[in-house]
Amino acid sequence: MQKLLLTVDKISTFVGKTFAWLIVSLTFLITYEVFSRYALDAPHDWAFDGMIQMYGMLFMMAGAYTLSKNGHVRGDVLYGFFPPRLQAGLDLTLYFVFFLPGVVALCWAGYIYAGESWAILEHSGITADGPPVYQFKTIIPIAGAFLLLQGIVEVIRCIGCLKEGKWPSRQQDVEEVDVEKLKAQMHVKDEDIAKLDEFVTAKKGSDK
Amino acid sequence: MKKEAWFGLSIMALVVVGLFWAMPPLSQITTGHLGLLMLALIVVAIMLGFPTAFTLMGLGTMFTWFAYHSTNPSTAVQQTLDLMVQRAYWVMNNDVLISVPLFVFMGYLVERANLIERLFKSLHLATARIPGSLAVATIITCAIFATASGIIGAVVTLMGLLAFPAMLRAGYNVRVAAGAITAGGTLGILIPPSVLLILYGAVAGVSVMQLYAGAFFPGLMLAGLYVGYVIIYAKIKPSIAPPLSAEDQFVPLPKFAEVIVKTGRNNVMAGLIGALKGKRNADVPMRKLLSNLTIALLPLLMAALLMGSIYHALTVPKVVDTSGLQEMGAVSTTDIAAPVAGGLQEPPAEGGLQEPPAEGGLQEPPAEGAQETQVAASAAPESPQILAEVAAPDGAAAVAPASGERRPVPTGFWIALGICITGLAVFYAIFTFVRLEIFKMLLSSFFPLAFLILGVLGSILMGLATPTEAAAMGSFGALFLAVAYGRFNWTMLKEAVFLTAKTSAMVCWLFVGSGIFAAAFALLGGQEIINTWVQTLNLSPLQFMLLAQVIIFLLGWPLEWTEIIVIFMPIFIPLLAHFSIDPLFFGLLVALNLQTAFLSPPVAMAAFYLKGVSPPHVTLNQIFLGMMPFMAIQVLAIFLLYMFPAIGLWLPSVVYGR
Repeated sequence: MQKLLLTVDKISTFVGKTFAWLIVSLTFLITYEVFSRYALDAPHDWAFDGMIQMYGMLFMMAGAYTLSKNGHVRGDVLYGFFPPRLQAGLDLTLYFVFFLPGVVALCWAGYIYAGESWAILEHSGITADGPPVYQFKTIIPIAGAFLLLQGIVEVIRCIGCLKEGKWPSRQQDVEEVDVEKLKAQMHVKDEDIAKLDEFVTAKKGSDK
Repeated sequence: MKKEAWFGLSIMALVVVGLFWAMPPLSQITTGHLGLLMLALIVVAIMLGFPTAFTLMGLGTMFTWFAYHSTNPSTAVQQTLDLMVQRAYWVMNNDVLISVPLFVFMGYLVERANLIERLFKSLHLATARIPGSLAVATIITCAIFATASGIIGAVVTLMGLLAFPAMLRAGYNVRVAAGAITAGGTLGILIPPSVLLILYGAVAGVSVMQLYAGAFFPGLMLAGLYVGYVIIYAKIKPSIAPPLSAEDQFVPLPKFAEVIVKTGRNNVMAGLIGALKGKRNADVPMRKLLSNLTIALLPLLMAALLMGSIYHALTVPKVVDTSGLQEMGAVSTTDIAAPVAGGLQEPPAEGGLQEPPAEGGLQEPPAEGAQETQVAASAAPESPQILAEVAAPDGAAAVAPASGERRPVPTGFWIALGICITGLAVFYAIFTFVRLEIFKMLLSSFFPLAFLILGVLGSILMGLATPTEAAAMGSFGALFLAVAYGRFNWTMLKEAVFLTAKTSAMVCWLFVGSGIFAAAFALLGGQEIINTWVQTLNLSPLQFMLLAQVIIFLLGWPLEWTEIIVIFMPIFIPLLAHFSIDPLFFGLLVALNLQTAFLSPPVAMAAFYLKGVSPPHVTLNQIFLGMMPFMAIQVLAIFLLYMFPAIGLWLPSVVYGR
């Protein structure tokens, strides 16, 4: 079971990371566009649609990846204090109450929406003769489906935690604040920090 | 289970019970009450710790369906689905939110370029003579780094590893040290380019450019107040922040400088020029002397360039002062003027300040006169400011004959020039070789970051680029910095890319959820109930403002700022018109206020990040106590901004003529 969970995690991660690279092309596209407009005096009318579509795809397809890394923001006031079993129980309930109806509806709605767009082979209306948008709208059901898949995995994780009393492991991933990494970056070791204590305690003594 | 959890749960139970008690009897319930119920439920549901984006999405879907069902059951499902997908597509197609991933990417790149160590070191040497120098350097480092990177957790942790030990070793009071780091680290929320202001702009429909212009000076003021507080405190009570020992202040001089100093010339200018002609320094290589002389002359060059361009801008023949028309005019004429200006591909919604410098007006001087009237009458796309900028480097010769002579220089300019020259004279008089070394260090750490930030902000404020474009160029610049400092490698880029994807997905999916939620709230009529209720309270604008800020401050305890902006701002914004409060001004106050939330115990995140890397005997209480004075300063800053709105609104009014 754990293997299956990790496989789905890997799929979500792979998809998310692949689309994540769009940020680099987005950066270069816009920078080039600005350069082209000011220096070469040759703005492109597709640039704006291009930017928007890259951005939209980037964050939509990263949704499942973020979920697989537990990266969606949570109200963390109480949650952190709960024992794992209660956490899992709450999550499990709320996956069924909130997540599944919401995401299923999104998938379904996105499917209809994209279908309508394909039917008329819709093009962007921002500029005359804009680029196509039907493939962009198709992202909604696809991203929804990946999210749903990852959501089901999370549900199974919750059940596993209810049984075991502790959360099943996740894949390691890069973190925003990775204290160990930052310590290495600053060449600070734990002993160094512990050594600082003498300054703290000495200070207290002299205050008295 | 821990006590805290029981405490929280019982409070939540109380909220729910109170809610049902406060609801009118079943017979009188309207859909509007359901809207309020939904709002209360969302607070409880968020507290339960389920990912907020999906809580919003789920609740929103259900209540939307319910709202449609109560009017027309047969089409309810279809309408709900349509609404959902439209909200999702609105986020995907949003030309404001597109700058979120770009600014986030820039932040991660700057953070991973690892400039902070150099920055802190050079700043602390530069400020060595000021009382509390280490704390001052910490705050400035934090402010710059947090502004460029915007990642509070990382900044506080890094400074906790870097500046905290340095301060403790120098005998600083633990509280002062902790306060300086946590307060400085949270400055990035406010000082643009900050993601918070983008989100507020997207929610409130306020132009991000104006928000950036508005938040710039309040942010600087806050940083200035922090620094001022530390300096005064250290001056009054030197025991909390003893001056650095001579050993810590020591800057090793390069060999050639030592040779020159030995000849008795300590001043850089005198020393270098003397060495150039003198024969006594034959062993000093010429190239080194010249390169150092160039570096030493940089401030003079910069000042000359700055004052020169100001002189040009001031004396350029006046077209018509229509700064008030710039933004509006540009927006309204972007569509019409597109064929004239030659390829405006941006949509008008972007703010419309990005038209390429108008070639027409400059190449044909006769058109100038016609344009004057045009500008005045119908707000032509060529705004005078852009015109002036283009004209200045071109020598303004082409323009001058058509629209009269150069204007006289205002006296203020000569006064500024005088101050500038005096400043430079003083600077060069005390410019020793030690200071030259410090200057060189600043040049390689402080100035690149400052240029990056100012370049991004400047191009936005001058209307040369949209926030999106400025963000992209900022990312590009950050990439360039990383390469220039030799920090660029594959792992670093990969990490920045993946983190960007996760953070953007987190923020933007939150918007998808909240879009659906807000739509449900509006459909149910919850907003109207709140509006009428607030109006019956007969509050004065001041009371309303206070109430709103207190509510936002209280919400800042259990919730993250993203959630507050995305979920609760849409409820406050419609009320602003009733009290005739400027949404821009409100946004600035909210940004200041939410920053306070990072410093208010017991949930202050900054404190926990610092605790994670501090020695075991530093307690959370000490850190909290250290943050207190800085929190008081923040409240003072909110008060100052409220009393003198010009602090925030002056720059937007000058640049965009609001």
